[in-house]
Amino acid sequence: MTTVYLVDDHRIFLTGVEAELRDRFEVVGSSYDVDAAVDEIRSLKPEVVLVDVHMPGGGGVSVVGNVLETSPDTRFLALSVSDAPEDVIAMIRAGARGYVTKSISPAELSDSIDRVAAGDAVFSPSLAGFVLDAFARSVPVAEDPELDSLTPREQEVLRQIARGYAYKQIARRLNISVKTVETHVSSVLRKLQLSNRHELARWASDRRIV
Amino acid sequence: MATEQHLTDSDEATTAARSFEWPIKRSVDDRMIAGVAGGIANRHGVRSIYVRAAFVALCLAGGVGGILYLLAALIVPSWTAETEPPPHVASRPQMVGLGFMFLATMLLLQAAGIWFGTMVWPATLVIFGLAIAIDTSGANYEKSLSGITGEGRRSWWLVAAGLAMMVGGLIIVLSSLDQLQALGVVILAVLLALGGFAIVAGPWIWSLIEDLNTERRARIRSEEKADMAAHLHDSVLQTLALIQRSDDPKKMVTLARSQERELRSWLFDERAADTQTLRGGLADAANRVEEAHDVPVSVVVVGESGLAADRQSAIVGAATEAMMNAAKHSGADRVSVFAEASESQVDVFVTDQGKGFDVDAVDADRKGVAESIRGRMQRHGGSAKIDSETGVGTEVHLTISGGSQ
Repeated sequence: MTTVYLVDDHRIFLTGVEAELRDRFEVVGSSYDVDAAVDEIRSLKPEVVLVDVHMPGGGGVSVVGNVLETSPDTRFLALSVSDAPEDVIAMIRAGARGYVTKSISPAELSDSIDRVAAGDAVFSPSLAGFVLDAFARSVPVAEDPELDSLTPREQEVLRQIARGYAYKQIARRLNISVKTVETHVSSVLRKLQLSNRHELARWASDRRIV
Repeated sequence: MATEQHLTDSDEATTAARSFEWPIKRSVDDRMIAGVAGGIANRHGVRSIYVRAAFVALCLAGGVGGILYLLAALIVPSWTAETEPPPHVASRPQMVGLGFMFLATMLLLQAAGIWFGTMVWPATLVIFGLAIAIDTSGANYEKSLSGITGEGRRSWWLVAAGLAMMVGGLIIVLSSLDQLQALGVVILAVLLALGGFAIVAGPWIWSLIEDLNTERRARIRSEEKADMAAHLHDSVLQTLALIQRSDDPKKMVTLARSQERELRSWLFDERAADTQTLRGGLADAANRVEEAHDVPVSVVVVGESGLAADRQSAIVGAATEAMMNAAKHSGADRVSVFAEASESQVDVFVTDQGKGFDVDAVDADRKGVAESIRGRMQRHGGSAKIDSETGVGTEVHLTISGGSQ
């Protein structure tokens, strides 16, 4: 069973998610405090960490950043009530491999954890929309054009995600394998994390949609 | 870094340095007009208020103080906020020396005859009395590094001495004045007395006003908190109570969703969606459908639309109809809306993963699809494409082009 660790400052929510996941995953621990979480994750070495975005003491971004410094193999899935672009982009840039909102159904959450555990990326429809928007509106810089633009196929996959389709359905609709869909999404994630365009951050703060 | 600057400063002054360096620069930190007095005070470790008093007193000597100040303000360079050293701590002999220098200058000016008569000495007394009173009773006393006595404590005997100097000086001034000017003198005396009172009691009154302000702010905060509590009680707590009493999971979810929507719009009302935009229009429609049919509708919009208003409202209207249909008939547990907009074209996809239907078999009489979606799009030069597969779901793809004219 995949080992999972939970970080959320909202204790009721923490307990709820823990109860939901107990059947399918081994929940090795949980914390509602940023510093304690970083220490425990380092010693427990869970496969996947579910982390809230807004928390006192630096929030999810600081948990992800601090843990990845010493344990680069830990995989993070961000879970938040907010899908404001600046939060989403900040978590992904910090190193999270996925971002879902707390309104996600338990089944979908389990799928997302599996996907992140397998090393793939999880994009919510709104995250896919943000990425399309961000990459569409800017001119690639000369340094590394490959990192700064999306291939037509990647854009197509993101559009399907934004339209609410699951990976399996996307594969069917585009006549490609699920593995290929996953590869495209992971590649977009990498571009999102490594692209050095400052615009990405500014773009995210420019548009605030709740 | 500041001390370093200070050292080179005095070094160069003593060795008559290769490049000329002003021993005194105008202060930035302690500046009333041009920072001349502040600069002198900083260099010699006296408190700037006494330097200012000396300048004012020198002004009585035919305006010499003013001329000196003006010259210094024009010629002497100024520190910058970064380079200004911390105030020098003066020794007592140094301060006595400065005092004598001031007295000598005054005597020299008196001997030269540049003078405003017998009132200068008593006026000087008043000025310094005032300075002491301000200095020792003012709130800035604690901030200064070295007092005239070298200590940072407020001492009442100093205040008293200052007041005594003031009153004594005033008595001399008044008694030496001609009786004809008595009226003017009375006014002056009243003004001086008021001034003295303001100086002595000022800090206390000021702190009273501050306290009042703090109290008012605290009250506003607690009122805001009460408002918030009242709102939460009327909305969130009621809903939570309803959820606890409900045993129908679907009903619970509906309650939670509608409460969440309401709370979000209350918390972020300044960002309320502008329904004139594509984004705002679709979000508003999604909210209405959600409320009417208890099915969550998520909206993702990419880009900004440059469509003419009538076309935009046509596509939003058609999309609303498609959302309604999906929520009402598909049986899906949610509806997704994705819009991609550019200057000249907008695509909207309304997707559900419900039971689907046979598009061709739909009765042409059914106004929903035929009129509200297809007809509306076609009238505005757009098109609607409906894909549905039984058991898989339905996707309505709306396209319209044409920028604003």
